[in-house]
Amino acid sequence: MKNNVLVIIDASGKDSFERLVLHRMPGALPFAGKYRLIDFALSNVKNAGITNVAIFPYGNYRSLQDHVGSGKRWDLDRRRDGLFILPPKNLAMPTETMLTFQRMHEHIEYLKRSSQEIVFVMPASIVWSIDILEHVQTHLESNADISEIMHDNIRFKSYIIPKSMLLSYAENYDALPYQTIQDITMKAPGITVNTIHYQGYARYITDPFNYLKSNLAMLRFDIGKTIFSQDRPIYSKEKPAPPARYLDYASVTNSMVSSGSFINGVITNSIIGRDVIIEKNAHVSNSMIMSNAVIEENTHVDYAILDKGTIVKKGTFIEGSLREPFVSKKDQIITNQTDLSILMVSTESTPFVKTGGLADVVNDLSRNLVKKGVKTSVILPLFEEIKTKYSDVYKKVASKRLVFNQEAVKVRLHFMIYKNVNYYFIEHYKYFERETIYGHDDDCLRFAFFNEAVLLFLDDIESFDIIHIHDWHAGLIPLLLKERDIKIPTMLTIHNIDYQGVCHQGLNEVLQLKRFIKEDHINFLEQAILHATLIQTVSPTYRDELRYEYFGKNLTYALLKRERDFHGVLNGVSSRHDPATDQLILSNYSVDNVLPKLENKLFLQETMHLDMGVHKWIVGMVTRITEQKGFELITQVLEGCLEHNQDMQFVLLGTGDSHYIERLKQIEQKFPNRVKLNIGFHATVPNYIYAGADVLLMPSRVEPCGLSQMIAMKYGTLPIVKQTGGLNDTVVNYDPVTKKGTGFSFYNYDTHTLKQTIFEAYTTFKNHPKDYQKLIKRGMRTDFSLSKQASKMIELYQMIAHPEK
Amino acid sequence: MPKKIVAMVLVGGRGTRLEQITEKTAKPAVTFGGKYKLIDFVLSNLSNSFINVVGVVTQYEPHELMNYIQHGSSWDLDVSEGGIHFLTPYTNSEGEQWQRGTAHAIKQHLYFIEQYKPEYVLILSGDHVYKMDYTEMISTHQKTGADLTIAVFKPCDDKSRYGIMSLDKTNKVVEFEEKPDNPKSDYASMGIYVFNKESLKRLLVSLEADKTFDFGKDIIPKALNENYHIQGFVFNGYFRDVGTIDSLYQANMDLLDHPEYLKLHDYKTLPLYTRSKDLPPHHIAGKYPVVQSMISDGCLIMGTVTHSILSEGVVVKDHAIIQDSIIFAHVVVGEYAVIKNAIVLENTVILPKTRLVFDKVTVVNNETIWQLGGKTL
Repeated sequence: MKNNVLVIIDASGKDSFERLVLHRMPGALPFAGKYRLIDFALSNVKNAGITNVAIFPYGNYRSLQDHVGSGKRWDLDRRRDGLFILPPKNLAMPTETMLTFQRMHEHIEYLKRSSQEIVFVMPASIVWSIDILEHVQTHLESNADISEIMHDNIRFKSYIIPKSMLLSYAENYDALPYQTIQDITMKAPGITVNTIHYQGYARYITDPFNYLKSNLAMLRFDIGKTIFSQDRPIYSKEKPAPPARYLDYASVTNSMVSSGSFINGVITNSIIGRDVIIEKNAHVSNSMIMSNAVIEENTHVDYAILDKGTIVKKGTFIEGSLREPFVSKKDQIITNQTDLSILMVSTESTPFVKTGGLADVVNDLSRNLVKKGVKTSVILPLFEEIKTKYSDVYKKVASKRLVFNQEAVKVRLHFMIYKNVNYYFIEHYKYFERETIYGHDDDCLRFAFFNEAVLLFLDDIESFDIIHIHDWHAGLIPLLLKERDIKIPTMLTIHNIDYQGVCHQGLNEVLQLKRFIKEDHINFLEQAILHATLIQTVSPTYRDELRYEYFGKNLTYALLKRERDFHGVLNGVSSRHDPATDQLILSNYSVDNVLPKLENKLFLQETMHLDMGVHKWIVGMVTRITEQKGFELITQVLEGCLEHNQDMQFVLLGTGDSHYIERLKQIEQKFPNRVKLNIGFHATVPNYIYAGADVLLMPSRVEPCGLSQMIAMKYGTLPIVKQTGGLNDTVVNYDPVTKKGTGFSFYNYDTHTLKQTIFEAYTTFKNHPKDYQKLIKRGMRTDFSLSKQASKMIELYQMIAHPEK
Repeated sequence: MPKKIVAMVLVGGRGTRLEQITEKTAKPAVTFGGKYKLIDFVLSNLSNSFINVVGVVTQYEPHELMNYIQHGSSWDLDVSEGGIHFLTPYTNSEGEQWQRGTAHAIKQHLYFIEQYKPEYVLILSGDHVYKMDYTEMISTHQKTGADLTIAVFKPCDDKSRYGIMSLDKTNKVVEFEEKPDNPKSDYASMGIYVFNKESLKRLLVSLEADKTFDFGKDIIPKALNENYHIQGFVFNGYFRDVGTIDSLYQANMDLLDHPEYLKLHDYKTLPLYTRSKDLPPHHIAGKYPVVQSMISDGCLIMGTVTHSILSEGVVVKDHAIIQDSIIFAHVVVGEYAVIKNAIVLENTVILPKTRLVFDKVTVVNNETIWQLGGKTL
């Protein structure tokens, strides 16, 4: 039988490892000291005697290629068949969650040429020792079309399927309403699916929690023995490392230690990789330390995943938890965070000046950093509205002269403290004191001046370790620092890639940056991307999406160049948004008592003049009415949905493009007691929608982070979203088999899929009320706090803060 | 395809002074430093010197070694032009070709050398402990235009074990004494030779049919007599011929006490390769000290280990104590067993409460354990 089975290893998913996968793919993650995750898949193949294997990797597969080589270690360097690495041909496709028929179609020749008739598909990141042939046998005996392997109510994305069937799906991928084998098993009519519940230890590793937990599970005899059994060894690449050395002060309890390591410290419940150095009096517990890490004297490391080459400096204290392990970046140098201090450069911050979300992010982040012991200062231009309101509060701290644009000007620096955050304002009448803060012809010159002025006052601001710049307005600072040879690390946050600050008209003459910029135009954001020490954007998925031109536009190239220094951290939601304390809703409720939400629902129906009844299903929207927010689809789909489903009601609060509004108004007229539009964003607060609606619709084509879906979840309103940007990072799609999820999401941006997803959400509401309640509670419990955002941000700061000052 | 250099590794000797250690194993297959075998040194040196045509001349218990080396891929020696070849005694029309000494072994396999038409032949032993890049020695050989270059070192133990070389100012060998009682020089031969192929052939062809022939005893004195140009190449690194139990033990302990000698952790310059046993990292599961020791993959340790070297897959049970010892692969040490100053061979099972405490280093295996005090406390 083994000659009739070929194995497809699905390494196309990226999962949620964030910085662990900056320079490798999940399949190449180290495991149990000396292995990589993919060793398990390949060793299972070898132990079954199978000789035809294809790996479908996503983007960054160099480390995988390097590890796997010709496949010799797994007897896969064959004349006939052997090991095939089948990379994506279409690099403009954003990362998917699992192998699609489209990916298979790109390499259809492989499937056609292979003589085997049965395909066993499994992900690259499962730790298990599975007898593949035994499971194929079970599949054959079941007479089902497809077998799906599950374990512990988790989908293992592992399938046994006839090759002829897979081939026909792959050949016709563009005509099918299904993208993956999972879609087929869930939706295709007339396909029989046999579910195999895998017995024995197995863990599908998708995030740092699972990763650490299953590593530490190897320290349990009952588990370790089944995974590393003598009959079914796990094979890995050979490395020339001598046996580990234990020195005079070593004290090790229940830990695995790999070759080449020097142990002189205290280790408990940990996995130590190759060539790790643990010095005297270093205390390591419940952690996974990857190869070449160094943990110096007098340190404490608990619940951490330290990536390759991490150095923990003397006296450092690292403490994570099993749920949220501390994760370092490759080659990071970690020191104590005690005296970390940050200078933020922005053009907006509440309560001083605000035109959009940026102002809230800067203020919220600063306050939460201060709460975590990070000294934080914010520097803003002294716009007219700040001057009018706060001129009595702030104090002048410095006054200097600056030659800018062939003109000697006087610039002042003012200072005040707001909620424990230091605020600095740069005063210059000509550039900043205008009625509006943006939209002037000389914006480039104004903000170039702002950047110059920040540099001018660096010594007058309370000392700081890192300059954190927001969006393009502060984008020249990293370059100016380099040009003047000032060694301060910088971090850029990209809130919106659409605003880049592209400047012509000889700005370079003014700034004298010819050494760095050859063209006669300057793109502020591009310069920031190229020169900042670290780059961050508002969600992990958006970070990945920006690598594709569809999202990243003209800056794709610059971002790709900085890919390894580019991180995604999800924005947080203020604790103000809480249905338990919200004074603006009719009846307060919490995760422990969700029932009063129904009162809010009835109240919403009443005030909106909709037909009343708790069995009705209210779809809410709080949004700008623009193409980007998905209105091209909504306007096409809404009418049909309402016709098809008499229980559905629709409430919208927002403002935007008139042609969409007109179309929506037509629909409102057609369903007078079921649709209500509130046009005008400032007309009223949206809380009554968050509290009263059953679902929040947010099918944005592009959504860097998105806050509405997080607020809705906190209010027990299930989101229906497209899997993009922050929406993808916050909403887990409901799976009717495993009952897991926090909402409803879809991948393909088309009317059919949107309609289908809305319908699925409704059927779950109608037919599976218990599941629906579970989703509500799970969503309400999810932590989207500002505090979590601030902690992640501190981890990023620590990556670049200089250890030795 | 012609090659400039062909290396011949002699792994024939039995190494009788290693007693039970080589009873079922050729000396080059003897475990060293936990996870290595002696042959790893020479194979790694060849790999690090980019020499990839290697004839391994075997005679005594060759199967374990052949099985271990396979195609040489662990040392990157599995190349399509050349690579590793096992040269075993054979029978031809002139009768059975049993080896009669090291030189005779090479003579038997001259045909193998000839097929690559090399300029030089590097002759090595498979049982020495040292890290060396042969490139420098070969270029010295080329520069001096010698017929033969011999690597020499200054032994720190009993010189009468070695072949002693007297060198002149230009490091030319002027006198040679095999295992002399009163050595005239500090330099001893390491048994590493670079020959001009033609000179080697001439010396070997002139051998008489029915006598034994060694490089040390016969070829070198003969070459000196016949005024061949013999050059000495002084090697200043760590070199040990671990021919006895004490020297094997001492060289192992040098890894613990003097890691700077062999620099096993230096993978950049001269890494030491070995074949992987596909075992998981070892697991320290007990609450007792494990200090001043080297522990290999796959071990499970619940007892105390001090100043010892453990090979792969060793199980040390609760309350067992291992001190100043070398434990070979897959040994099981039972509860409350005490081991001191021992070399415990592969797969030995030590029952609970066994006391194996020696003043002098002693070899223990499943057969001898009873005579050696396998009594329980």
